[in-house]
Amino acid sequence: MKLWIKILIGLVVIGIIAAFVVYKFLINKPHPDFENLKPDYTLDAASFYKEFNTSKENANKLYNGKIIEITGKLTRVESADTLTIAVFAFEQDIFGEKGLRCTMLKKFGADAMKFKPDGIVRIKGYCTGYNGTDVVMEQCSIVY
Amino acid sequence: MKKYFALLILALILTAGVRAQAYVTKNGYIRFYSEAPMEKIEGINRQVNVAMLPATGDFVFKVLMKSFNFEKALMQEHFNENYVESDKYPEATFLGKITNIKAINFAKDGSYPAMVEGKLTIHGVTQVVKQNGTITINKDIVSAKAKFTLLLADYKISVPSTVVNNISKSLEITVDAAMEKLNK
Repeated sequence: MKLWIKILIGLVVIGIIAAFVVYKFLINKPHPDFENLKPDYTLDAASFYKEFNTSKENANKLYNGKIIEITGKLTRVESADTLTIAVFAFEQDIFGEKGLRCTMLKKFGADAMKFKPDGIVRIKGYCTGYNGTDVVMEQCSIVY
Repeated sequence: MKKYFALLILALILTAGVRAQAYVTKNGYIRFYSEAPMEKIEGINRQVNVAMLPATGDFVFKVLMKSFNFEKALMQEHFNENYVESDKYPEATFLGKITNIKAINFAKDGSYPAMVEGKLTIHGVTQVVKQNGTITINKDIVSAKAKFTLLLADYKISVPSTVVNNISKSLEITVDAAMEKLNK
C-alpha cells in the first residue's frame, strides 16, 4: 500500500474517533453525578433558609447553582406526581409554609419516604434559588 | 424583589378581603419546547409556585430558572449560561389576572375557558401578555392549563450567531398547575 493511502486512512480513522469523542463527551456528555459530588457548602438547614430569607441577593450569589449539604429537622416527605420532596418548614405565612424543599433523586425516593417527621436528616443537593416562599434544592441524595 | 413579592401578595389578599380563599401549589409544571432543524430543546420544571385568588382572579407564578431540567446536560448548561443567564436572572414571574373569573363557577366541577392577562418577566424583561387557557374544577383541586408561544427576542434572549440557524426563535410553553385550597 502506498504511503499516502496509509496516511489518508489514518487521518480518516482519527477523524472518526475525534467525532465520536466530541459527541460522547461534549455534545452528549452526561449530567453531573450529583450523588457523588462534593458539597460546596455544608450548613444547618434552618440557617441556610434564614440566609435566603434575610438577603436573597447575597444568598443567591453564594449558593445558587452550588451543591449544598444540609442537616436539619424534617417536617415531612411529600410525593407529587413522580417526585419525592423532603420538606423542612420553618415559618408560616399567608401562602402557607416557608422553608426548604428538596426534590430527591429517583434512587433515593423510596428511602426518603421512610424518613420520620421531626427526625434529623442530612441531605445533599443542587440549590436552584429562593422563590419567595421556599429555598429549592434539586437532584438531592441522602447522606448516610 | 422579595419585599415587592410580599407586598404584592399582601395587596392581593387585602383587595380580596380578609376571608379570601387562595388556591396554591408549589409543584406547578412548566415545559418549554422548541423545534428547529438541528435541535429539539425541551426543558421541564416541576417546582413552580402558583397562586390564585378566585374572588379577584389574581394569578401569580414564580419560576426558578435553574429548576428546568433537560435531557442533555450541555443544553442545560447553554440554557442557564448563554440564554436565560440564570445567575443574573434566577427567576421568572407572571403577575396577572384571570379576566373572566366571574364566568368560572368554583362550586361546580367542570372545565372553563379562562382569559389571562398580566406581566410576564423573563431574563429581566417584562412584557404584557394575554393568553387563553383552561381552568378545571374537580372538587377541591383547581387546575390551570395553558399552551402558548413566546419569542426569544421579546425577552432579549439572544442566540449566538454560530447556532442561530439551529435554534428556533420561538418557544412553545405549556403550563399545568393543579392547585389546592389553602386552609385559612
